[in-house]
Amino acid sequence: MTARWSLIALVWCASLFGQLKLPPYTRQVLPNGVVVDLLPRTGVPLVQFRILVKGGVEAEPANLAGLAGVTAQLLRKGTSRRSADQFSEELDFLGGTFQTFDSPQSSATTITGEFLKKDFDRGLDLMTDAVLHPTFPEAEVRKTLSQRVDAAKSIKDNPQAAIGAYFAAYFFGPGHPYGHPADEITLGRIQRQEIVDFHKRLYCGRNLVVIVTGDFDAETAAGKLREAFASVPSGQAFEWTKTAHASAPSDVLLIDKPDATQTYFYIAQPGIDRKNPDRVKLLLINTLFGGRFTSMLNEALRVNSGLSYGANCLLQRVRLPGAIVITTYTKTETTEKAIDLALDVLKQLGEKGITAEQLASVKAYIKGTFPTQQLETTDQLSNVLADMELYGLGKDEIDDFFSRIDAASLDDINAAARKYYKPDHLTLVMLGNAAKIRQVAAKYASKVIEVSVNKPGYGT
Amino acid sequence: MRSLFMMLAASGLALAQPSDVKTDTLSNGMKILIQEDHNIPNVAMYFFYKIGSRNEHPGTTGLSHFFEHMMFNGAKKYGPGQFDFQMEKSGGNNNAYTTEDDTVYTDWFPRSALEMMMEMEADRIRDLAFDPKIIESERGVVYSERRSSVDNSNFGILFEQLHAAAYTAHPYHWPVVGWPSDIEAWTMDDLKNHFRMGYAPNNCVMVVVGDVQTAEVISLAKKYIEPIPRQDPPPPVRTKEPEQIGERRVTVVKPAQLPIEMVAYHVPESNNPDDAALDVLETILSRGQSSRLYRRMVDKEQLVLSVSASRRTTFDPGLLVFVMQPRSGIEPARAEKVLFEELSRLSSQPVPAEELQKARNQLLAGHYRELKTIAGRANLLGEYEVFYGDYRKLYSVEQTYDAVTPADIQRVARQYLTEKNRTVATLIPEVSSKGKQP
Repeated sequence: MTARWSLIALVWCASLFGQLKLPPYTRQVLPNGVVVDLLPRTGVPLVQFRILVKGGVEAEPANLAGLAGVTAQLLRKGTSRRSADQFSEELDFLGGTFQTFDSPQSSATTITGEFLKKDFDRGLDLMTDAVLHPTFPEAEVRKTLSQRVDAAKSIKDNPQAAIGAYFAAYFFGPGHPYGHPADEITLGRIQRQEIVDFHKRLYCGRNLVVIVTGDFDAETAAGKLREAFASVPSGQAFEWTKTAHASAPSDVLLIDKPDATQTYFYIAQPGIDRKNPDRVKLLLINTLFGGRFTSMLNEALRVNSGLSYGANCLLQRVRLPGAIVITTYTKTETTEKAIDLALDVLKQLGEKGITAEQLASVKAYIKGTFPTQQLETTDQLSNVLADMELYGLGKDEIDDFFSRIDAASLDDINAAARKYYKPDHLTLVMLGNAAKIRQVAAKYASKVIEVSVNKPGYGT
Repeated sequence: MRSLFMMLAASGLALAQPSDVKTDTLSNGMKILIQEDHNIPNVAMYFFYKIGSRNEHPGTTGLSHFFEHMMFNGAKKYGPGQFDFQMEKSGGNNNAYTTEDDTVYTDWFPRSALEMMMEMEADRIRDLAFDPKIIESERGVVYSERRSSVDNSNFGILFEQLHAAAYTAHPYHWPVVGWPSDIEAWTMDDLKNHFRMGYAPNNCVMVVVGDVQTAEVISLAKKYIEPIPRQDPPPPVRTKEPEQIGERRVTVVKPAQLPIEMVAYHVPESNNPDDAALDVLETILSRGQSSRLYRRMVDKEQLVLSVSASRRTTFDPGLLVFVMQPRSGIEPARAEKVLFEELSRLSSQPVPAEELQKARNQLLAGHYRELKTIAGRANLLGEYEVFYGDYRKLYSVEQTYDAVTPADIQRVARQYLTEKNRTVATLIPEVSSKGKQP
């Protein structure tokens, strides 16, 4: 299947109509600190459990990057009551899902499981067994780690994934929690004891949030959840990183992949954290600039010039200040033209600004797409609650979202665009055939750092 | 009824009746399926045109997909860029996809935009514009898409070679995105001919799911779309793939960290009685960490990083494709031998009842997950109508899977998973002399 376009923008989304509200839910905090959110919603005979373990990459030592992810992956690979095979057999027989998520910019480990309504109890039992009572058998640990090392190597075969990892390491830098994506080197160092210790330290009452959404009776469920999590030791709440600054270097990083027939590039600058008071304004600006099909970047690099299949701008919205990143690709021969054009679009945003018509359009767009992206399924609602818990946001994040959009004036928007979307002091990362684009790279900085894609890890 | 799920819930996952889907056929032949769902104030409107790369010819491969792109580049009333511009400012967005068999346009929008969307869709079906300058620019876009999904993707390039080897005569031989030289060479006339051939209302099914009133959808369709005249449908695809009479092998040698191997077997078209048995077979082999191939190849013997089995939905006989990525230092031949052993075990031994039930549960739960969103339902309703000849079959999936017996699985395994019917494509990592570090 070949699709018309794909957008990887972190568009937080959203009607021309009245404010949509978050459906009612309950929140209780157990004596040991475990937070339990219940949001019942009938209509679909499924129930989803989502468990957040605060810490994520912020809790990993840089030299053991991948520890949070590997720990989560091993939860189902042997528990006090089930072998890895028994767990999989039981889960699959129910037609259930069990997934773990971690990303290089994630301040929590997320574990989700989805089951048919009738399997609520068995689903909950599988979830708690894995999350609270894993035994991390040595053989399973070795197997998983060696698989992860190979998977990390194979990322180099996928230019779009690879450039993302190189970018994170380079832009945030080694001292920053977001600057050490897991690679074959860090994964190769992890030992079982570190996994056991990580689980003991982080998977405790004060770090756990349990979110249940879908078709269930709230009162009965509340009792079951209390019982299931009552015995978790309260432990120590994870202490968040106080401050962290991206190194945002201005030298160009060029990753050499000699067989590439196109150049992938990122142009980045420091952005905002998830709670920044300007977040709604930036969402509007970013969507206009690079977050929808008719965005300024996509119009310039795709629609009007045919240089690329797509150009986007990512606005990272995570716990620590993230990046604002222009991303696109073009055939090797038009590398310079495409980079110049992307830089020009960025410059024009500051110089020409945003018009009243554009602002009205993007407001309608974000409101109109919001229901299908945030409020339609129980998975989406569960994700909304998770963001509120992790980032310390209130219900107003959803309930006042439309009024905050309405309140953004044209002047506010243009001032924020000038403040955050600067045309200079940018970080440029390129991945392509260096022999053909080395000269082009040199145009954009006094120093070009070159690294072969075959060198292990993402370091320079 | 609010949605299909209301009924599923009420009946404890017993099967819903298809009565909440309303249908109509316009006088020009376009069939319309409508399912009201007032859960959120949005609408998913899908158009399934029964034309895809199987309707192309050497020299114009990829044209259906290119045409899909051109459908957004201006018509009579709504000029270049207007479709997207008007849609986004009304709070909607869209996408489209092309397969070997069909081209599907997917619109998602707030209920207030329904009339405008119907008008814009009618405008482009009736009066698409062909501007030479835009054609050139869009050619660049499509080539860029090919570079990303094929030329610079090890999986993409191997998949293309696998199909080219497995099909020698039938149009499934060529890629949906098109061969590079064809992308460079399409002409304005090619585009115009394609439009005339495929974009007739009688060659299309419209599906609308969401916050709409059935009567309103039908009345708007009558106003905007019914006046568009019917045309001859695309000529039938005459070429049939001859029976394969011996294993075929193809290799791609390319810089890579890890090899990839794909193994394909010819299987029947989607609307064939063996379809459900093949779904179950696929599930037993590769769905979940307790599946046969995962357990043995990924977990116990650690031969591969991943292994999957899949088929596309097709009009003509398709392929069952196994994709595996061998671990570092594992020869693809070693992984392949184990795959073949597992496939012959399916032919020689009946599947235990419990394992069959597990596969049914997985398939059914997966099916329900696809129906969670208005977009998911619009897509499945359309697929069932177009590929299985009747959207109502969507509502009897449970019975369909219940009817599959261990003997059926054994029979299809014996019939299709044979050495002679097999094509193997292997990506072998090239040791590059230029790979030295700076």
